[in-house]
Amino acid sequence: MKKQTRYFSQLGILFAAAMLGLLGGCATMEPKKPPAMVPTDRGTVIYLEKYEFKRPPEGWALMRNVEGGDFELGFMRLEKGDFPTQTTFMYDEFPYGSSRELEKRADYYCTKFLFNSGIEAKVTKREKATVAGREALLLEMGGENPVQKEKAKSKIYLIKKGNRIVSFVCTQWRPLKGTFSEEPFGHFEAFVQSFKFLKKDFYEQLEEEMTKAGI
Amino acid sequence: MEAHNRDLYLYKRLNAQVLGVSMDDPMTNKHFAKSLDLQFPLISNVLPWMGTKYGAYSRTPPFLPDGTPNWFGRRTVIIDKNGIVRYLKDGSPDNQEILTFLLKLEKEFRGKR
Repeated sequence: MKKQTRYFSQLGILFAAAMLGLLGGCATMEPKKPPAMVPTDRGTVIYLEKYEFKRPPEGWALMRNVEGGDFELGFMRLEKGDFPTQTTFMYDEFPYGSSRELEKRADYYCTKFLFNSGIEAKVTKREKATVAGREALLLEMGGENPVQKEKAKSKIYLIKKGNRIVSFVCTQWRPLKGTFSEEPFGHFEAFVQSFKFLKKDFYEQLEEEMTKAGI
Repeated sequence: MEAHNRDLYLYKRLNAQVLGVSMDDPMTNKHFAKSLDLQFPLISNVLPWMGTKYGAYSRTPPFLPDGTPNWFGRRTVIIDKNGIVRYLKDGSPDNQEILTFLLKLEKEFRGKR
């Protein structure tokens, strides 16, 4: 009886091993997903065949929009220091507001930006700019949240893209006693200035189709 | 709401009118519309027969003891030019899906003229 139990337990192990082998086989059968960023010989990367840009150096983590969210893609880096010492930057297709005029959009944007974080953000710079040959507006904002004992400094580009406005945003977080660093803003600037749209977005395609249909 | 506001120029081209319906009173809606700079009408339907008719409210608990809904979700409804409900979706609106659907409807409507 004991022998028989041993036999079955050995058989069980064999079966489990065979199953693992089969499952392992299944895992390797899955088609390999292409990487999100493919490097080019121009020192840039191509992101999902949609955008080309200069990515920040090692240490910056890619933030991706996988299920719909507030931004399309971005990078973040946790820096040395107490919480919340970090910098994030991103490309956002839907900045706050709805006006298609840059100045009006900026007016509204400034009332909403960082609002939920409790930071009392003030505009420290606002000037016309050009990004990738497109009309843009540069905003620099910053402020503190004395309750949470943290502060933030941001650089924002609102850009005219066809009939819409898109944005690039970089925010650096520090504890109240912390010091801001200019270095991450340099990577953001390189990201923005190298950014190219490789494909028409949904809205450009829709408008094209509407025009074709005489709508 | 902000996303619909952003896409208004496209809705207009597609001959669609956006209406927001809520159970809030008109004054609350007015402040809400002002805070988001909404450029389309908001309907105040406190009772709320519209949400019930269009199935926006859950028919299962949680309900208040007197039977009024205590919870309500968001539902997007597209009604065509003949008054027929052509699209229903719960949850946050998917604007790209809505615009694509409206384009299809407008093409269909123009094809029949």
